[in-house]
Amino acid sequence: MSRSLLSVRDLVKHFPITRGVFGRTVGAVRAVDGISFDVKEGETLGLVGESGCGKTTAGRAILRLIEPTAGQVTFDGVDVLALDAPRLRALRRRMQIVFQDPFSSLNPRMTVGAIVREGLIIHRLAEGAAAQARVKQLLEEVGLRAEYANRYPHEFSGGQRQRIGIARALAVEPRFIVCDEPVSALDVSVQAQVINLLQDLQRDRGLTYLFIAHDLSVVEHVATRVAVMYLGHIVELAAADDLYAEPLMPYTQALLSAVPIPDPSRRKQRIVLTGDVPSPADPPPGCPFHPRCHHPAKDVACTRIIPPLETKADGHLVACIKQLPTRITWEEQQAAGATMPPERYVPLALATRS
Amino acid sequence: MTVVLWLVAIALAAAVAAAVGRVWARLGAGGGPWGTALSRLQRNAGGMVALRFLIFVASVAIFARWLAPFDPNVQLDIIALASRPPSLAHPFGTDIYSRDVLSRLVHGARISLAVALLAVLLSITVGTAYGAIAGYLGGRVDAVMMRVIDAMLSIPRILVLLAIFALWGRVSLGALVLILGLTGWFSTSRLVRAQVLQLKTEEMVVAARALGARHRRILWRHILPGVTSTVVVAATLGIGNVIILEAGLSFLGVGVQAPTASWGNIIADGSSNVAGMWWMSLFPGLAIVLTVMAFNIIGDALRDALDPREIQPA
Repeated sequence: MSRSLLSVRDLVKHFPITRGVFGRTVGAVRAVDGISFDVKEGETLGLVGESGCGKTTAGRAILRLIEPTAGQVTFDGVDVLALDAPRLRALRRRMQIVFQDPFSSLNPRMTVGAIVREGLIIHRLAEGAAAQARVKQLLEEVGLRAEYANRYPHEFSGGQRQRIGIARALAVEPRFIVCDEPVSALDVSVQAQVINLLQDLQRDRGLTYLFIAHDLSVVEHVATRVAVMYLGHIVELAAADDLYAEPLMPYTQALLSAVPIPDPSRRKQRIVLTGDVPSPADPPPGCPFHPRCHHPAKDVACTRIIPPLETKADGHLVACIKQLPTRITWEEQQAAGATMPPERYVPLALATRS
Repeated sequence: MTVVLWLVAIALAAAVAAAVGRVWARLGAGGGPWGTALSRLQRNAGGMVALRFLIFVASVAIFARWLAPFDPNVQLDIIALASRPPSLAHPFGTDIYSRDVLSRLVHGARISLAVALLAVLLSITVGTAYGAIAGYLGGRVDAVMMRVIDAMLSIPRILVLLAIFALWGRVSLGALVLILGLTGWFSTSRLVRAQVLQLKTEEMVVAARALGARHRRILWRHILPGVTSTVVVAATLGIGNVIILEAGLSFLGVGVQAPTASWGNIIADGSSNVAGMWWMSLFPGLAIVLTVMAFNIIGDALRDALDPREIQPA
């Protein structure tokens, strides 16, 4: 197993809620509430979750585009959060980001060439004719024509613009790229092309991706491992095959049951979640998912014990005290008022999926 | 001899105008966000009339020395030629000191336009810098800087100006520009700050930070280009405003000082008998009204042409 390139420990980002003229802090939106994971060299870690679960904030906090409230981020042995401004700027060459919105992420007043060239100039990688040649090479590498360098972003389609954004990120030769929902804004037919491009680039350049998405079928296609986020927490983390074959967190089960299977002969069981995602400014106590959980053993202990992200099977981490095995013993659960003993719960239709 | 010189001058002017026109048309067809905006401006008929008029007024101001038939400050014949109505020799008449009103108007254009232009240049520079800093830094700094602006905007500008002139009395032209410029930037800074606040959260700015760009680069390359259209429109409308303000102050005797001609003090010289000596107020009055109107029309045309929603089709 290859070593981990990026390691995130107990990352927290709270946005203060202020009120009044003097900006009194009256609360906090707990966008990211203590997440930990590793991304191994050359792999793609998928980060999935509903809108507002904190996945974009997590991606940006790792890159320090948003200053995290607490936690630790180590990239290639470097403590990212301890870096001063000049060192952080230097490190940005190695860590890049591709954005969701192909319209607002490109400066409409700059030519495509100037956009892609910017990183080369900032890090003094090339100048003049050499920079121009490099820009053309990058554009061709992402499947665009070299002549496009003189045009403006508004002359391109969403998919083409996303390729420009990818070329901009590649210009500084990063090792790690946060792909922040890179295909969510695109037509389905174009999504596949952009994903294939990202995969080709990964293979050719040995890139490592943190792939943020809300579409589970997209992530299934690209990710080596998948982390599922809910209300600022990681609730399940496993190899993609294991997670899709046997999701153990009730939340993941519900999400997967909503993914359409292109096979009309297969009947499948839908788990329909009731209620809305609670506000991250006022998250429920205990397990963040308990108000909507359908696990048959759910009881009052779930509202009192914060479930640790623990190993349920080889390399399969889940945050659920009712899913066996768990290191929160039955006695401890009973002390918290539990009435239902933990049990292995995997809805049949999901277990046999693909 | 003079006629030949005039013909040569007219031919030269026509050639220059044609060349400028060709370049102008090519710029409009040039493409890119600015070219698109320019071609939209060129299709705005009212705006183009206003622009032509302003080019005319500006040329008159620039070439005042050669265009004016008389020295604007010379009293030609205080006994025979004072307060004469328009005639062939003096198309706009003469004032109470027997000076040629047309000559004073032509030279006055120079002063009135220069004062307004420089004052607005100063106020948009200060306003843009102040607003950009407040918006970009945000937080406490922004809150304090904006409360200062709120306080400044709560005092009517004309009152501030009159108070200043009550303290200092007669001021030089340079001081007048400074005073007009430094009292006019508050609303510009507000506009700029609002736009910077919005622009700095856009993903293109986050992308620049992610690339490792320094603050200076982010401001100059990614944020300020986004506020130029707002600033250009504010400046154009501001020029009209300052022309009126300067005319008003000069009329009251505290702006441009006699004998230097400005549109405001030409009117002041004839104000003792507006009905009897109408030519002293009508011609400079028309000059003020038409010029200010042209600046306002151009300002609106620019606003339409530079509409950021049109620049960024989303």
